[in-house]
Amino acid sequence: MNSPPETPSSAASDAALLTAHINGDPHAFSEIVRRHRDRMWAVALRTLGDPDEAADAVQDAFVSAYRKAGSFRGEAAVTTWLHRIVVNACLDRMRRKSVRPVADDELIEAAERDSPLPDQTVEREVSMEVSAALKLLPPDQRAALVLVDMMGYSVEDAAQVLDVPSGTVKSRCARGRAKLAPILSHLRNRSDLSSVSSAKGAELRDG
Amino acid sequence: MTGDTHYDLEILAELAEGLLDAGTATRVREHLAVCDPCGERLADLAAVREVLAATPVPAMPVGVAKRIEQALAAERSGVGVLVEDAPPVVEEPVRLGVVADDGTIVPAAPSRRRRRTARRWAMPAAAVAAAAAVIGTVTVTNLAATGTGSSLLAGPSSEGPQASPSMNAALAYSLTQSDYNYSAATLRQPLSDFLAPATIINDPGDVSKCATEVRTRTKRAPFAVDRAMYNGNEALIMVSWRNQAAKQVYIDVVDPFFCKPIRKATTGSW
Repeated sequence: MNSPPETPSSAASDAALLTAHINGDPHAFSEIVRRHRDRMWAVALRTLGDPDEAADAVQDAFVSAYRKAGSFRGEAAVTTWLHRIVVNACLDRMRRKSVRPVADDELIEAAERDSPLPDQTVEREVSMEVSAALKLLPPDQRAALVLVDMMGYSVEDAAQVLDVPSGTVKSRCARGRAKLAPILSHLRNRSDLSSVSSAKGAELRDG
Repeated sequence: MTGDTHYDLEILAELAEGLLDAGTATRVREHLAVCDPCGERLADLAAVREVLAATPVPAMPVGVAKRIEQALAAERSGVGVLVEDAPPVVEEPVRLGVVADDGTIVPAAPSRRRRRTARRWAMPAAAVAAAAAVIGTVTVTNLAATGTGSSLLAGPSSEGPQASPSMNAALAYSLTQSDYNYSAATLRQPLSDFLAPATIINDPGDVSKCATEVRTRTKRAPFAVDRAMYNGNEALIMVSWRNQAAKQVYIDVVDPFFCKPIRKATTGSW
């Protein structure tokens, strides 16, 4: 039997904190929450596109993680494990609402319908457009795009979180991007994005 | 060379992800080199990634962070269950979900924990008495009816004359199966609340061996054993007296398969 460290220092690793929590340290889990709540919030908010739903999902996820800490196997990073719980909480909510995939013309119509009010800042405007567009994707594609394109995780990390092969993550991202392209393409011409995206486009085109 | 057909966004997106086989990828690239509309579409795809990456990621609002702290504090103090029954202290009931082993969330309501609590308390004391089984040498009557729990143990306490590791027959405990999911927080509450109302069962065969092992290892003789869960894992909760008059107990939590401790032994109350 391996005995874990009794008292984690302030710079304790996530794994040490989780062990301390399992052993009854009443503050260890709060520290884990403090460290990761912003990222978990971002994932849930972007995946669900609704602050109330996201708050419920993140709360469910943290409470579940609190209770289920004993089942953490230590094979993955604690952050991966937390992400997985949060993403699954989100997917679960989306599936219960039975979001259906929609056709391309519906996507465009909906994006226009949901387009933001003119008195908002550009940043918020883009953010809302993106949110509205993401909502039109099937849950699996949305979750993959949030992790990879929005949160900047590697395909491999996203695959671990989603518990699917890397190839599946790539193909969900590809299909998701293909659906979003007609809706978000007008944002390409914004000065702050166009130079980057055309360079990237050239890079992709030239292999 | 390239035909007149253009490639749709999905093919182009797969090209960008390296998902196409070499032959197809080459054909699409050759087409892209001479086809402006397809080149545009590829640029649109790249723009999607850029737009998504450039979308700001907000921090968790203070209100949400507070709500989560409250939910976890309730969980810690073991009153997480009660919040739903009591007048709301947060703006909405704490919703409970359970993560299965594969990481999926089992829908919240009604929570397993709450359901079990309700069912346990709904069980009439007479039914518990009727279901009572006696294990070992000591006659145990009705756990639920004692209230204090002090009449429970007529036999060996940990200091008792019979408490020698070699005397397996002297090991007397009530064996219950609550299937309750204990946590560090619930172990700090009076354990008779959990064990006394639980269904008393006959030893399926593995418990007495494990109880003896624990006793040999710890020199503590459990007077109550509950087949249950600990943080989601199957567990045997073994309770032995530390100070019977003061209703202080030692709690050993071991796995039912290898009888190894799942957590450090701790002290609690009965």
